Amino acid sequence: MTSSSFTSGSPHRHPRILLRRVLIALFASCAAIPALRAEPAVLVTPDDMGTGSLLLKTTEGGKYLEAPRLKTDVSVNVSGPIARTRITQRFENPSDKWVEGVYVYPMPQNAAVDTLKMQVGDRFLEGQVKERVEARQIYEKAAAAGIKATLIEQHRPNIFTNSVANIGPHETIVVQIEYQEAVRLDGDKFELRVPLVVGPRYIPRPDVAMVNVSTESPTLLFSNPAPDAHAITPPVLHPKYGKINPVSLRVTLKSGVSLAAINSLYHQAKIEKSVENTATVTLDGNVPADRDFVLNWKLAAQAKPQVTLFRETIGGQNYYLATVVPPAGSSARQRQPREAIFVIDNSGSMSGESMKQAKAALLTALRKLKPEDRFNVIRFDDTYDVLFRDAVSADKTNVTVAERFVGNLEANGGTEIHAALKAALHDTHPTDTSRLRQVIFLTDGAVGNEDQVLAEIGKSLGRSRLFTIGIGSAPNSYLMEHIARQGRGWFTHIGSESEVETRVVELFNKLENPLMTDLKVGTNGVTLETWPNPLPDLYADEPVVMTSLTNATSGTIRLEGRIGTAPWSTTLELSAAEPGSGVSRIWARSKVSAVEALRYKGTNEGDIDGQVLKVALDHHLVSRLTSLVAVDITPSRPTGEALSSHELPTNLPQGWNFEKVFGEDPSNTEIKASIDPTLMLKLAMSDKSPSATDGLGVSLPQTDAGTDLVLFLGCLLLLSGSAILLMLRVRMVRVY
Amino acid sequence: MLTRSNEETKTNKRGNFLFVPSLLRVSPLSGFAIVIVILGLAFTGNALFIRAKAILAQVLLEQAWQTTIATGKATKAWNWADTHPIARIEFPRLHQSAIILAEAGGEALAFGPAHVAASPLPGANGTSVIGGHRDTHFNFIKDLKPGDAITVTTQSGIQLNYRMTGASIVDAQSSGIVTAGKTQRLALVTCYPFDGLQRGKLRYVVFAKAVPDQ
Repeated sequence: MTSSSFTSGSPHRHPRILLRRVLIALFASCAAIPALRAEPAVLVTPDDMGTGSLLLKTTEGGKYLEAPRLKTDVSVNVSGPIARTRITQRFENPSDKWVEGVYVYPMPQNAAVDTLKMQVGDRFLEGQVKERVEARQIYEKAAAAGIKATLIEQHRPNIFTNSVANIGPHETIVVQIEYQEAVRLDGDKFELRVPLVVGPRYIPRPDVAMVNVSTESPTLLFSNPAPDAHAITPPVLHPKYGKINPVSLRVTLKSGVSLAAINSLYHQAKIEKSVENTATVTLDGNVPADRDFVLNWKLAAQAKPQVTLFRETIGGQNYYLATVVPPAGSSARQRQPREAIFVIDNSGSMSGESMKQAKAALLTALRKLKPEDRFNVIRFDDTYDVLFRDAVSADKTNVTVAERFVGNLEANGGTEIHAALKAALHDTHPTDTSRLRQVIFLTDGAVGNEDQVLAEIGKSLGRSRLFTIGIGSAPNSYLMEHIARQGRGWFTHIGSESEVETRVVELFNKLENPLMTDLKVGTNGVTLETWPNPLPDLYADEPVVMTSLTNATSGTIRLEGRIGTAPWSTTLELSAAEPGSGVSRIWARSKVSAVEALRYKGTNEGDIDGQVLKVALDHHLVSRLTSLVAVDITPSRPTGEALSSHELPTNLPQGWNFEKVFGEDPSNTEIKASIDPTLMLKLAMSDKSPSATDGLGVSLPQTDAGTDLVLFLGCLLLLSGSAILLMLRVRMVRVY
Repeated sequence: MLTRSNEETKTNKRGNFLFVPSLLRVSPLSGFAIVIVILGLAFTGNALFIRAKAILAQVLLEQAWQTTIATGKATKAWNWADTHPIARIEFPRLHQSAIILAEAGGEALAFGPAHVAASPLPGANGTSVIGGHRDTHFNFIKDLKPGDAITVTTQSGIQLNYRMTGASIVDAQSSGIVTAGKTQRLALVTCYPFDGLQRGKLRYVVFAKAVPDQ
């Protein structure tokens, strides 16, 4: 029977074989359709930007042309674990039109933006923090009165966008922003990253990876569906990056403790150590901004935790920032027996790679348990199962049972994380301090009831600590991080199967060596307001950063906790604090995050809003409830006396410092030549005066999904094709 | 028996060998027809996919909206969404409603009507501009009549009442719509002509004015 189907070469078999081919081709064409419909690649959206950019509005709604960046100056001041960064950038409107721009700056997570200054042509704008609603009213009032104004609202915690209207032809725009962030501690290294990268703007998705941009003249390897294929050349990316976007950068490093090694990872840098604890890092001349600047430094190894203290005094109030650096020596480490509860997500969203990675991670984790540990495994989708009735010792038999259980898991069903979490937090020995109770979640976090989950943790955490392993290419990092923070644990992410081993080892390192637990602040008669509250546990290679507000300048703060099972304490002498600028904002930012998290412990929204609003306004921070509104503060200038766009203005407002980005002026003609003229045509005109009623009005988006035409063409093709096939078929039947 | 199966394998091989050139014998016309059918299927599939996505997105958005209303916080409809619901708009006479998205680039429009970021939010003074695709979410806009009630529920749960005052056809780049003003107005925008096949410059704008609370 089978042989006959092969031997038969008669033509009536063709349709079936052809059908198979048709199906294959159909899938291929479906994949190609998005490419056919893709917008010109060089127009970007704010989300595409990896660094500070000025985007000019085009006639295509939501798409922008990136303005050439002429110069960037970065100045970073690091004091202890806190970095304050000031970025000044100069852009140019490359066109002969009046345009509207959007300034975008992606922030490092947890960075606090508090300052924005802008010069547009001859106008100066400076952002003031106001209550969200009030800021909007001020903005609208100014706009209605024909005064230049911009409004910056926090759309997402890590990105802000700011519209600037009325940028004149070839006018220069200077933007200066300042933000504060905590320097990341990675192993025994502190790491500072400044986003500088300028391209590539067009990264084709792998499934339509048919654009060859590596050659001089980009070519489409697919049939040529885009008549504007030439436009795939990045618009401002001149072959010599350095000419286009030269960067000067200076980092002042005040670590507070002895510095052991300082390294600039990707750039040639000049490193000068002035005093033992202080260093200055500058780039050798102007460097190409083709990769992020990363600086890392190590502290000299110490046997005992080191405590550093910085102070800032504002309005009679003293803000302190204390850093506890854990001992780096392995001698201090002492393994404590654990009770590990593994919770694995086998819901439908985990199917495929994610499930494989989650299983591999859990099996690796099970193998790393020691016989003196106790453990349990819980799996959940829309239901959940607990493997053992109570945590059991991690002997060979039990681990084998667990391995079999994990091996048989299949991804299916919904994600009801809440019930599983409740089960995981159900503690049979809530007062047993001889064991560390650790709940380890393996999930992609594709759940909707985030608040409920976080509230449950706030309510029933007890002595347990929560750790999350985010699985897959797009885990819900927000939830994972918040579970870990709320659960006083640690968050890690596994993105591919090859990472499983290293990540699990890394996590186990933290799990097995909690350096310090039960950290508390004893006040010794000094009134303190300390954030975060309560202080988190310290894990391996992690410092605790604590901020306090008090009116005292002398006296002591007592920090106490436990290293392993041994009690530990240290005393901070307030009078010994070094001056540290920006400490008050770190305190404020810390308070905002801590207060926002209180909602999961049942504090009512009104109280939270009140506190957040007060602290954000007092400390000039952009937050969920406060925005920066920029109003024109231009010093009076005789009308008609235009400021030459490339000269340094002589009457900068006091305290403004833009010199760094003026000076050397790259040839503008070169830049213009590298921008596609057809793209410039797409720039949208800006209203010359926002209040003018006879203006062009607001530009409207494209409101046609284009399905009518595609559907019409599709049906037409389908009908005519079928008609021809039918005709042929009739003929074929007649022949055979 | 053994010999026979050997023979079979041979025939098999020969059959396969013969099979390839036979495919090449497909007449050019039928080849052409097949290509046309494939393209037709691909086009139709793509168009239907976009429409299905538009409908599905509104279902998911409806859920996200309920959460937004309940918690007072912006909630994404799906994890990787680059936009979030900001309001819900209802047209009682036409029994239509939709979730309005914050403008986050042109992509938002694929999932629902979106608020044009350059205009004030509904509830603030001035004209709030909301755009929607003529072939999906806003295809009923053409049936609105002056005097029709339109209600918008904001994120904080406040219900705003509007009445349609009129409509006009404008050029997208010189709409003449001034967003600043003392009165609360709505401008609902979709493409014009309604049954046009090509993307054009013209937009149909429905204007509505806030009705003071009774």
